[in-house]
Amino acid sequence: MRAAEEVQPAMQPERFQELAHIIEQELAKLIVGQRELVRSVLIALIAGGHVLLEGQPGLGKTVLVRSLGDVLELSFARVQFTPDLMPADVTGTNIVTEDDSGRRRFEFQPGPLFTNLLLADEINRATPKTQSALLEAMQERQVTVGDRTRALPRPFFVLATQNPIELEGTYPLPEAQLDRFLFKLLVPFPGPEDLAEIARRTTGVTEADLQPVASGDDLAAMSTLAREVPVAEPVMERAVRLLLATHPERPEAPEDVRRYVRWGASPRGLQTLVLAGRIRALLEGRFNLALDDLEAVAAPALRHRVFLNFEADAAGVDSERVVAAVIDATRGK
Amino acid sequence: MKPVRALLGRVRSRLLRDHALTWAANGAAIAAVLALAAEVGFRRWPLDPAWPALAAAGGIGLAVALAGWVLAWPSWAEVARVADARLGGRERLTTAMQFAAEGGWLYTRQREDAAAFASGADLADLGPLSPPVKVLAVAAGAGLVALALALLPNPAVQALRQHRIETAAQDQAANQVQQIAQQLGQGQAGEDPAQRQALTKELQKAASGAKQAPNAQSAVASLSQAQDALRQLQDPAQGQKADAAASAGAQLAQNPASAKAGQALASQNMQAASNELNNLAQNLPNLSAQQQQQLAQSLAQAAQAASGDQQLQSSLNQASQALQQGNVQAAQQALQQAAQEAQSVGASDQFQGDVNQAINGLQQAKQPLENAASGQSGQQGQQGQTGQGQQAGQSGQQGQGQQAGQGQSNQSGQGQGAGQGQGQGQGQGQGQGQGQGQGQGQGQGQGQGQGGTGSGGGSGGSTRPAGTSSEPIYVPSQAQDTGNGQNQGSQPGVQNDLVPYQQVLADYRASALNQVDRADIPQQEQQLVQQYFSGLGQ
Repeated sequence: MRAAEEVQPAMQPERFQELAHIIEQELAKLIVGQRELVRSVLIALIAGGHVLLEGQPGLGKTVLVRSLGDVLELSFARVQFTPDLMPADVTGTNIVTEDDSGRRRFEFQPGPLFTNLLLADEINRATPKTQSALLEAMQERQVTVGDRTRALPRPFFVLATQNPIELEGTYPLPEAQLDRFLFKLLVPFPGPEDLAEIARRTTGVTEADLQPVASGDDLAAMSTLAREVPVAEPVMERAVRLLLATHPERPEAPEDVRRYVRWGASPRGLQTLVLAGRIRALLEGRFNLALDDLEAVAAPALRHRVFLNFEADAAGVDSERVVAAVIDATRGK
Repeated sequence: MKPVRALLGRVRSRLLRDHALTWAANGAAIAAVLALAAEVGFRRWPLDPAWPALAAAGGIGLAVALAGWVLAWPSWAEVARVADARLGGRERLTTAMQFAAEGGWLYTRQREDAAAFASGADLADLGPLSPPVKVLAVAAGAGLVALALALLPNPAVQALRQHRIETAAQDQAANQVQQIAQQLGQGQAGEDPAQRQALTKELQKAASGAKQAPNAQSAVASLSQAQDALRQLQDPAQGQKADAAASAGAQLAQNPASAKAGQALASQNMQAASNELNNLAQNLPNLSAQQQQQLAQSLAQAAQAASGDQQLQSSLNQASQALQQGNVQAAQQALQQAAQEAQSVGASDQFQGDVNQAINGLQQAKQPLENAASGQSGQQGQQGQTGQGQQAGQSGQQGQGQQAGQGQSNQSGQGQGAGQGQGQGQGQGQGQGQGQGQGQGQGQGQGQGQGGTGSGGGSGGSTRPAGTSSEPIYVPSQAQDTGNGQNQGSQPGVQNDLVPYQQVLADYRASALNQVDRADIPQQEQQLVQQYFSGLGQ
């Protein structure tokens, strides 16, 4: 018996599944429908990744993020990104203060980044300079102001939103910065039943009272457990093929990729596929990564990592179609 | 892991059956396509018999099926992948098999999860065996087309078979001619060695020509040319000489002193006649004057009868005159010259017989070639038996050949000459006779036939009245196939329902020249046919 077998995990798989279920149940008090969206956000949080949410205004993106903060006992901050937002408005800055003795000195005033859960609303409306300040913090999980670097609190999650319409006066995120988001999630428009339920809940007298059901430590333990899920060789090969198939110069690439894709996904895409897949497997009650898990997380993991060319724009081809083609092309091989 | 391995064992058995079905279909398709390709190829490049190639196609298909099945033998990992895919295992089985020996609590939990899944798995979810319909359709289609091609006549194969038949016939004819050359290679004392050498050389050339000819028709033409060449070796005066010797012998036989020599001459036993004439020369001094005068008279009569052989006539005259003058010594010398001439005539007569035998042998050798050229390959066995019957008929009818000579001569009423008769027909055979001489002659019969054709031939020294060389020869106007293999050669001299030989030859020549007047027949071959008929006309 090896030593690793004797070490019991910080969290049992059953507890993992139960905790996730509880979180989803608690969020469901306020979030109507959007089960897949909630699950994907939860997977991203467990994986320790950031999420880019894209959807029309009024679909509950902000409510979802704020509710997560409530449920997970995490500090929450929201920044509305505008063109005049400066990096210091996000990271914080040194201000002059006067102590009791009347001496003046610089004191660091932390920005909204110093929180566990940051909602970067309409991130594409900020200038690239401000976006870069945020994205550096997302990658490094630290902020440098002046000559001093300050670590951000753990866990640190950024959930950014962007509006696919009203693109006038926006600054689309550069490809390199998009790659730093674990998932890009599309917020679907609710169905008729969900809309009716939204109307009932939000126009009544009572409001949902969310209770914290998990902590940052719980998320860390869940993340640790997920990283131990075994991955069989054929599954890993499929994940690699999925990634390679997004590159137009590769033989695995389907016709849509060769024709419409300018650049394929980076190795971060593969890491995302495997890690998110492992979390999904545990959430599904399994102890191994399956091909289904890869296919389920392929779209949110790859859609923002596949960069289309002008021909795709002209033909009206979006990344959803390309990722679907990649999944089909690698299936059964 | 026990349930997992048990499940995978059953899945692997099922996979092996699937693979067996798939590769059997693949092998059948490959075999059928190869057989089809072979059948198509045989239309261009014939192969006979074709069954080894078709068997090879089947063997290749079987080998491919077996090799494919063995090479496709699934590993446990592959079985696990297939089981996961078909039974909805979501890679539980694959992961459990890969990490079967891995420690760690999560691996243990994973294996337990896989075992639980395997225990509840239903093999019916694998679905029924699915035969590869498209491949089987290809196999069936190709097989049917190949079968149809195999059953349909293949002109290329027929041409190949015809070529083989002709080649075999050419070899047979060449061997036959070679045997004749060997038989006739030894000459006799008193004959011209150059002529014997020419006879042998011509026969060997004919054998070589028949063997190396491009086809049976060319071989026939080659043998016909050889026949023409051999006819050049025939001595037209040989018959007259033999008749002269026989007539002289008849006169000498009436005298007791020269009776033995006369009888030997009359019976065409030239060697004995030569000896007896020498004995007579030695006994001349022992004869009385009266006997010498009687012998001189007999010698004079014999000389008068031997007008066909001037040398013999001269020797006999000299002997007669010497005896009348009482010059015994001169008479002895003259009789010894007559003995030498008798020996020479005998040797020449033997050589002419050999020439005739060679011509007949070549004619017989042409028969299988003509049969092969006519494409009657299906009747080879029957014709072979017929050939034996012909041979028997020929050898058994030596005397008939002689009779033919007699009848012909009798009917013509001519005392000297040579006669030729040729008949051709089926069931009635063909006869050819040739006779020369006074009181003695040669008869020769030759026949050809198909499907029961018989031939008879022979040579003899039957005494007969003189014939003529210009008498017309007739052949049967219609042929009948009795199919019994009996020799019923029509005899020359029987002219009922017969047409003149020259007319038949002219018609035959015109028909043959008309048939060879085609662009695909080389000019050289056409000329060969023309030469053949020109030789016959001569």
